[in-house]
Amino acid sequence: MNNQLTIIIPCFNEQETIAQVINGVKDFGRVAVVDDGSTDQSFERAQATGVKVLRHLINRGQGAALETGDRWALENGAETVVHFDSDGQHQAEEIPKLIEPIIKGEAEIVFGSRFLNKNHKMPWLKKWLILKPAVKFQNLLLGTNLSDTHNGFRAVSRRALEKIKITQDGMAHASEIVEQAVKANLKYVEVPVKIVYNDFGQGFGSGLKILRDLIFGKFNK
Amino acid sequence: MNYLPLQIIIGIFVLLVVFRLSKKFKEGGLKTSEFIGWLLIWIIALVAFWLPQSTSYLAGLFGIGRGVDLALYLAVLTLFYLIFRLYLKLDKQQKDLTKIVRHISLKDEDNRDN
Repeated sequence: MNNQLTIIIPCFNEQETIAQVINGVKDFGRVAVVDDGSTDQSFERAQATGVKVLRHLINRGQGAALETGDRWALENGAETVVHFDSDGQHQAEEIPKLIEPIIKGEAEIVFGSRFLNKNHKMPWLKKWLILKPAVKFQNLLLGTNLSDTHNGFRAVSRRALEKIKITQDGMAHASEIVEQAVKANLKYVEVPVKIVYNDFGQGFGSGLKILRDLIFGKFNK
Repeated sequence: MNYLPLQIIIGIFVLLVVFRLSKKFKEGGLKTSEFIGWLLIWIIALVAFWLPQSTSYLAGLFGIGRGVDLALYLAVLTLFYLIFRLYLKLDKQQKDLTKIVRHISLKDEDNRDN
């Protein structure tokens, strides 16, 4: 198995999808699931697939779980890390496309983007009311020119991972990664990806929560 | 209007608080600066209730009509500040908690390997 590519799957109460998601990606590289204190059968079902499963004793949020996975990957010789959702939103067959710029040495971080894909279908209310304003806001704040934000499908090189430390335990980690990448002068690119929507996406309320976390995160450093 | 009952109630309350405060201070649960700070706050409260005119005088200095208004403004400001501090502290504790959970998670995993 290709240990150099580590696919990190943070998981919180996804017992229905977790095994299927793991089996879908495990041919592409080494898998490390971080069970974020699930109260259902997620941990057991993940373990049954035979991949590495780390466990948070209590729920700490997706950002926290990703950071645990990142640290583990670094300690265990990963050269490239892919962040992959546990709810079946992301497409395993897009992993090679996502890591390609890193392997070719063209970038240190690759962000999956829903908006580069012209044929991509998404609920238009979500697109224009939540996602687009969030992207605009982030670009304005960080001076970036990204087309998407908060879509957890990304690939990070070892060099970048050594510089990026996620401190946002909640969903604001997605912006935090972009922010740290910009500050550390890491080269990033976007690659079009397809996201399959389920009912559990983030609504306007959680968008506001992300904003709050980002603002208050500035004070506690 | 007779404020005496209210003044007595507040007086007893403040005495109780100060008594507990000094007890805690003697036991070493409070820093000297904290003890003095809290003591001052409660003494000011006591003075404000027993000599309401004094707050009116202070309010006048700030260009506010009534002493009660000044007390209210100060109280709101203090509360906002305390809530803000509390939020930061809570946030820090949340982050510390995550560190502990992460540490245990990575350590457990090491043990399983061995």
